[in-house]
Amino acid sequence: MEMLGRLRGPNNEGVLAAVIVVVVIAMSIASPVFFTPGTFFGLARSSLVPLIFALGVLLVMISGGIDVSFPAIAIFAAYTTVSWSNQASFDPTLVGVFAIALVIGALWGLLNGVVIARFRLPTLIVTLGTQGVVRGILLTYIGSAYISAAKLPPSVSAAGDAHLVDVPGAGYLHGMLVPVVMITVLVWWMLKYSAFGRSIFAIGGDIEAARRVGIKVVRTQVLLYVLVGALAAFGGVVAVILGKNANPQSLVGTELDIIAAVVLGGASIFGGRGSVLGTVLGVVLVQLINNNLVLIGIPSTWQRAAVGVLLIIGVSIQALTAMRARKTPVLLEEEVARA
Amino acid sequence: MSDLNTQSRSAAGNAADRPLAKLISRVQVQRGTGRMVLLLIAVFALFALLNPRVFLNPINLQNIGVGAPEIGLISLAMMIAMLTGGIDLSVVAIANMSAITVSSLYTAVAAGAGPEVAGSLSLLFVLAGLGMGALLGAVNGVLISVVGVTPILTTLGTMQLFNGLALVWTGGVTISGAPPAVTAIGKATLVGVPVLFLVLILAAVVIAVVINRTAIGRKIQLQGANPVAARYSGISSRSTLMLTYVVSGVLGGLAGLVFLARNPSASADYGSSYVLLAIVIAVLGGTNPNGGFATVLGVILATLTLQVVSSGFTAMRLSAYEYAIAQGVLLIAVMVFDQLKFRRRRKVPPPTPSETGDPAIPRRGKERAK
Repeated sequence: MEMLGRLRGPNNEGVLAAVIVVVVIAMSIASPVFFTPGTFFGLARSSLVPLIFALGVLLVMISGGIDVSFPAIAIFAAYTTVSWSNQASFDPTLVGVFAIALVIGALWGLLNGVVIARFRLPTLIVTLGTQGVVRGILLTYIGSAYISAAKLPPSVSAAGDAHLVDVPGAGYLHGMLVPVVMITVLVWWMLKYSAFGRSIFAIGGDIEAARRVGIKVVRTQVLLYVLVGALAAFGGVVAVILGKNANPQSLVGTELDIIAAVVLGGASIFGGRGSVLGTVLGVVLVQLINNNLVLIGIPSTWQRAAVGVLLIIGVSIQALTAMRARKTPVLLEEEVARA
Repeated sequence: MSDLNTQSRSAAGNAADRPLAKLISRVQVQRGTGRMVLLLIAVFALFALLNPRVFLNPINLQNIGVGAPEIGLISLAMMIAMLTGGIDLSVVAIANMSAITVSSLYTAVAAGAGPEVAGSLSLLFVLAGLGMGALLGAVNGVLISVVGVTPILTTLGTMQLFNGLALVWTGGVTISGAPPAVTAIGKATLVGVPVLFLVLILAAVVIAVVINRTAIGRKIQLQGANPVAARYSGISSRSTLMLTYVVSGVLGGLAGLVFLARNPSASADYGSSYVLLAIVIAVLGGTNPNGGFATVLGVILATLTLQVVSSGFTAMRLSAYEYAIAQGVLLIAVMVFDQLKFRRRRKVPPPTPSETGDPAIPRRGKERAK
């Protein structure tokens, strides 16, 4: 029993993993072409960008906030970088592209962080505002034209074809998997072992308690949003590399889907709870369903509904478990009803 | 906004039994809406001065009146959910489901029994559309009040679900066809005022009366102001929340009918940007994202202000993206301004962020979670 409890994980990661296994088995039975390397390479590839975004959302959510500005920041940073290097006919190399984009993303994150932490405003509303500003500035003053593969910096287009594993006839595993996995491990390490990571948990758990034990709340929050801005920018560049084009209209509108995946992964919207493992599993489950419904004979129009049902079931189970765990308020309600 | 938040929260909590608190809360209501009136006049005057020929053209003014209702109704739905400390992200999906219901019922009957029979059943179709709104709102209500899922997560999930069902229903394409009576209302004017605008005003008056003058309205306010106190004073949070989200759903359904009246077609992804715009309008209109305080008048004024800015930007040949910048700057500026004003007046340390927490995080949930 105790071992079962441990397998379940602190944030229901075990349950999520079991669901993924069941879905994979069901899909394999339903479709013989499902269980091939190509399917899994495709799954890995399509999870890369959502995973990076989801890690940013996870960090903000653990701190007790919610961020909807990250897709706008992502495409702003990536598009601005490639559009500048295109205009200047200068290839900053792959590292340079990432560096420039990360700085741009971090600056937008700094704005978010300063407004949120300094004026103590609701994060959803502030990032809603920044989303409009960032997207508006990008499309009005920087560019609204689609940048095709031929106009991307050569290093970026080359990275689009960098394959890690190539199975002839079955597909390939994209090279961008390596930095994404590295970042995932880094975020996991930061949350688990660094003082900064623990402070984020502490702020999300109880901000006043965090302040009283001497955590510099404003500084931690500002730093957090800077980091999340940089993560968003990284995701944006990866999206450009994988898509082999830069479209300023892309990514925006996906924010709620990413938040859904993170919530599915067990992160608490109240802050103070969430894990990298759960987030990875949440993203994988959503992508598994998004990519493969057609394969098992379900029309692709059911995709959104399927993810919606999954999310509702997931959060309902969490809510019911939580309700059972804290009996007192429920009893109070009954007392009131009796009175 | 926060100066309103903390004080009005306590004021609204006691408003039922203390005349002084009631008076104070009334004055605050007027100050919140007073600011919106000034802002509306200011932006109107600005665009009237900058480009009078285009902006003051009666057709432009009528366009403002025709454009405001759909976003205004969605913002009212958002406001009602925020009043209880929740949020309704699914409202646009509900509106589309309602429009799709009406449009497909009408076209199906018109194809089977002829357009005349279908036309005579218009009222029935309209009721079916509103019923769809109520039904989907009830789904939200059950998940929030019985299962106990937080509103933002519930409506995030149902938004995906309703949107997904709309995609399945329509096959992802735009379906066209609407009862002629509905389209006629979309074109009609009464002494130069678009009838759709009068629909919005009527809905706003009904909601305002319900919130401010009825027992259930007081329960909704108290639920948002202080859920624990509400529970101890014998208010069933279950039925209050249920009713709130059904009303929000019906308003969404009504917005769907307005979509149809403006343009006799329905699709799964119409107005997706309205979700965030409605939050912007609700907050600008003085709604406290933590619940307990909102004014219908403020929301209507904020709707008109943004509609004026939007049409003014069009008159000035500025793009939709510049409008997005204006929205964002306006939103953050108003919030920062309120916060600074609050600090200057109180001359004490600002509220802890747990007080000005997220709309996403209803205080009720936070308390339960501990």
